[in-house]
Amino acid sequence: MSTRVLAKRRLVTLALLRRESIGGLYHVLTFEDPDGSAAQPGQFTMVRGAEWGDAPLLPRPMSYLTAGHAPSILIKVIGEGTLRMGRAEPGEPFTLLGPLGEPWRAPTPGRRVVLVAGGVGVAPLVFLARAIVEAGGPKPIAIYGGRSARDLPLDDDLAELTELHTTTEDGSRGARGRVTDILGDLLGPDREVFTCGPDRMMAKVAELCALRDVPCEVSLETPMACGYGVCLGCPVPTHDGAYLYACTQGPCVDARRVDWSRGDHAPKKGAHLPRSQT
Amino acid sequence: MTRLGVEIGGLSLKNPVLTASGCFGYGLEYDDFYDVAELGGICTKGLSLHPRAGNPPERICETPAGMLNAIGLANVGVEAFCRDKLPILRERGVTVVANIFASSIADFVAITERLNRETGVAAVELNVSCPNVSEGGIEFGKDARMCGEVTRAVRSVTKLPVWVKMSPEAGNIVAVARACEEAGADAITAINTIRGMSIDVEQNKLRLANRTGGFSGPALRPIALRIVWEIAGAVSIPVIAIGGVSTTRDALEFLLAGATAVQVGTANFADPSAAKRVVDGLRAHCETRNVTVKSLIGSAR
Repeated sequence: MSTRVLAKRRLVTLALLRRESIGGLYHVLTFEDPDGSAAQPGQFTMVRGAEWGDAPLLPRPMSYLTAGHAPSILIKVIGEGTLRMGRAEPGEPFTLLGPLGEPWRAPTPGRRVVLVAGGVGVAPLVFLARAIVEAGGPKPIAIYGGRSARDLPLDDDLAELTELHTTTEDGSRGARGRVTDILGDLLGPDREVFTCGPDRMMAKVAELCALRDVPCEVSLETPMACGYGVCLGCPVPTHDGAYLYACTQGPCVDARRVDWSRGDHAPKKGAHLPRSQT
Repeated sequence: MTRLGVEIGGLSLKNPVLTASGCFGYGLEYDDFYDVAELGGICTKGLSLHPRAGNPPERICETPAGMLNAIGLANVGVEAFCRDKLPILRERGVTVVANIFASSIADFVAITERLNRETGVAAVELNVSCPNVSEGGIEFGKDARMCGEVTRAVRSVTKLPVWVKMSPEAGNIVAVARACEEAGADAITAINTIRGMSIDVEQNKLRLANRTGGFSGPALRPIALRIVWEIAGAVSIPVIAIGGVSTTRDALEFLLAGATAVQVGTANFADPSAAKRVVDGLRAHCETRNVTVKSLIGSAR
């Protein structure tokens, strides 16, 4: 693997170029960045309305969906911050601090990429799929799951870029069940997995990959206040009994590093800081 | 004398703006944003005698115009700080205030003695007020006698200026501040966070694994201002204000109330250059009015 050079972090105030409501609680926000963002797939940005004043106080960690002169993010309205983002009008100023964190590692030549996405976790995987396809790599396989058909934002993007399998818990789209119900059939010695979604899903994906000895890279999602390594609010338990910090040592890490069983990291759903995904 | 310069004990600061412990790492995380040496100083993440992993997640959550944290003093330990961080800060000319934490007087003394062996430490700030650890911390800070003893013990082993960071939860915070002054403190830092809670009503679950966390941010400012006002009226050593400072206006509010300097904390999270903005804003304020920062201190009293 070649050593990647990551772009310098910048705090910039950018105007919202457009907000696309893509159904349900989901929106894609695209910003106008004259200097261009050099974010790589898997990296994230801390986003905050420039005119929010003292509340909501903290910026929200969001994976880049695209970079360049029109960087974009996918949001799900779940709290005060995302509510405001979901109502924002073109021209509204936002501060973006980024690019932050470790991007996805480069896919291994000779291995077919399997993307496993849950909900808003799809954003960094769409970015990765596009990068792979644009680089002329083999078309990735993707498994995308949600509670129902309404919980599959950007499924059309994945359909275009990948060989897509969808699952819904209510059977309203694709196979009834969860992504992990069909993942087993798609794993093999010449495959590698990149996953982002709820912790419980990623823990199960990591477990299936470990059983089959398939490399698995996860993008971690935790609350965070700063995004650049000083608040220490985003610890993720590791097997050595310590923590890794999702902001600077992640969000993209080898799934084997994470102790999915420890703390309350694994089997719970969080409503912490309003956020989309990191 | 410069327009922005202030003195705290024997220590001259180029301006009255520092960054608060726990909200600025070790000062080495800001290279992409600005030169940290432009600040009056930085207060390091709280240093303990040995490294600490900190509390389990969840450690933080947002509240109206503020946040709760229960980091649990995760830090590299004083030895790694002296070996890996301090030499770089020293090289860059950063004014470094070492914030230190211990659960016993002996350990406070041991950490201070380790720092004594280094050059490049401008002062030590005693964290006797952390709300998120089971031993020491806030239990020291609530008690005037204990605070005085910690201060006296550290004072007796170092020539460095000693600052003591107050807990707003002390029943009689003025008495605690006076006890620290009598014990030889060079300055009082006020205030640390105050314990708060938050419950996720959807999940019927506490939002912090530690149950409680230290409350910080703009919502804390009026309480901090009141306490700074009270302490500044009761001690003759400088008071360094902390509590929700994110703008120049906020910093001025504390200076006018009697603080000699301010620390910028939570504001660094949303804007890594928040403290630098306050320095620039104070400079512009003083130049426009042709005044010095020193002349502003306590002017609203």
